[in-house]
Formats: sequence, structure tokens, C-alpha cells
Amino acid sequence: MALINVAAREIHCKIVYYGPGMSGKTSNLQYIHSQVPKEAKGELLSIATETERTLFFDFLPLDLGKVRGFQTRFHLYTVPGQVLYERTRVAVLSGADGVVFVADSQKHKLEENIRSLRELAVNITRQNKRFQDFPVVLQYNKRDVPGALPVATLDKYLNTLGWQRFEATATSGAGVFDTLKAISKLVISKL
Amino acid sequence: MDPQLTSQIVPAEEIKVIEECLVRLAEDTGGNYVLLLDKSGQVITAQGDAARQDITALGALIAGTFASSREVAKLLREKDFRQLFTQGVRENIFISLIEDQWILCIIFNKGTHIGLVKVLTKKATDDLSVVLERVREQQKARDDVLGSSFRTSMEDTIDLLFRD
Repeated sequence: MALINVAAREIHCKIVYYGPGMSGKTSNLQYIHSQVPKEAKGELLSIATETERTLFFDFLPLDLGKVRGFQTRFHLYTVPGQVLYERTRVAVLSGADGVVFVADSQKHKLEENIRSLRELAVNITRQNKRFQDFPVVLQYNKRDVPGALPVATLDKYLNTLGWQRFEATATSGAGVFDTLKAISKLVISKL
Repeated sequence: MDPQLTSQIVPAEEIKVIEECLVRLAEDTGGNYVLLLDKSGQVITAQGDAARQDITALGALIAGTFASSREVAKLLREKDFRQLFTQGVRENIFISLIEDQWILCIIFNKGTHIGLVKVLTKKATDDLSVVLERVREQQKARDDVLGSSFRTSMEDTIDLLFRD
């Protein structure tokens, strides 16, 4: 739930990057952190295992500055993607205003994408929100990998609700900001 | 509209009431720092040691800890854990849930007894529940803040800032 502090003239929104393990959620945040001007970002906080897999979440606060007198902040989170951490994902999703679902375009990952998306729907519904109305943007990541599934195939299995979707290569940054812009605007439109 | 999709607006006068409550809690317990967070991890307001850094990250981590404990409670078939106590070498943290929506957090050192913190936090939690109830009913200020011109300005800012 977005928080509007009238006394401090601040607006805070929470956006969560969700998706199967190794789909590139952390890479999205790392790229955003590397590109956003210093004055607009806080530290990128990562709670990861020794092998740099996300254990709890990554957290990146972005400060958009004053918009019509209100200091506006987006807090970006990632969830740990591995199946083991299902309950942790529920915890990170708590109070989210919008979700970027980062799908892995590789053929052998399709089933994992579908499972993860189903789990997201269940988790959003458990928060008493209607999944059909919840702000979601899809990102088909790893488009640079040889043999990546065609977009039409991914659409057929993952985009049955007709969300905005973007092709991306998060490690090089392609599509990362298009995705972030889309989810930010979607969240603002639902405030 | 689904109430969970709407924003929570905390009016200036309620922030003042909250701040007074936090100041009183810090003074009465001798605590170093008191924060009120939304369960999503956003800091509503904080009182105490002004030199403390990274309040934003602190808010995200404390809310994460609480959300995580809620899942532990479910696995144990417990309703929920309404309080958490973390003991450090220099400082301790006591966290208390307010009506499933806000999180009150007090950081204190060895000079303060945990029993006192528990009792006074309970009182503060009761007071803040009343404020939360009023905030939940407060939706009329929403259109003053989030008019269409705000949304347009916001979109322009997003386009300007979020680019390679």
C-alpha cells in the first residue's frame, strides 16, 4: 500500500521484482543502481548467500525528487527465486503496490516461469487483492541467449491477462528501464 | 475499489499525534530511537538520535523480519507473533505490531529495562491503534494530493529519470 505522509509531504510506493530463480531480478536492480544519478538513489542492499544467490531480498530506494511539492520515493525489492524460499517471497510481497514478473526466456525454464507466475497469483490473492486488477508488468529476460523462446510462445503461456510486457537483457540493461517506467506509471495510476 | 489497492494517507495533524506518542515513548523508556513503519517497510515517522543513518534500509529490514516471522507463525499454527525482541551487545530492538498494518520499533541500550519497554510499548500501541483507525477512515484528502495534474507531472519525472 502506497503511503502518503502529508506532514512531511512524501509519497512512498513499493515495487517487487518476482520470478523464478536466476531469471535476472537482482540484475535488474543492479543495472538500475548503476545508471540512476547518485542524488536519486540509496545504497543497493542485498541479503544473499555466499554464492550470491538472493536469500531474503535486495532493496533499492529511488528518490524521484519533488513532484508538485511531494517528495516521491519508489522502493524496489526482489524476492529470492528458488523454490525453497516460497514463504520468504510471501513476506517480501507484503504491502507491495506493484510487481514486475521477470521471466527467463530459455526454453527449459518455461515450466518454472509458469509455476512461479501461478504462485504469484496465489500469494497476491492471499493478501486479499484481486490478481486481475493488481499492477503487474511482464519482462521477458535473457533475450540474448541462443534458442530463447519466441515472444509469441511466452505470451501464450505467461501473458493471458494481457499485461504490458518488455523484452530485456538485464545484464546489459536492454529493456530494464522500459520495464521500470511501465510499472512506475502503472502504480501511480492506481494510487 | 479494493481497499488494499488504495493509498494510505496520513494527514499532518495525525503525524503530529504520532510524533508526540513516539517522543513520549522514547523519553519514558530512555530509548535511543523510535520508529513507526508501515508493514510494507516504509517509515512513517521516526524520533530520537538524529545522527542515525540509513533509516530507509532499517525500515525495509525490520518490516522484512516481521513479515518473515508472520510466515513462521503460520507454519507453527500460531495466529501471529505480535512482538519481537532482538538482543545486541550494545543495543536491543523491541518491535510491536499495530493492528496488522503498522509496526512500532524501539531501539534502546543496556540502561533501559526490557520490562519497562514492554509495558510502555503496549500503551503506545493502544494509542496508535486509535490513530490508525482514524487514518483508515481518512480518504477525503486523497484527491487534493493525487489530482490528474499530479499524475501527469509524475509521469514526466519518471520519463526524465528512468533512462539509460
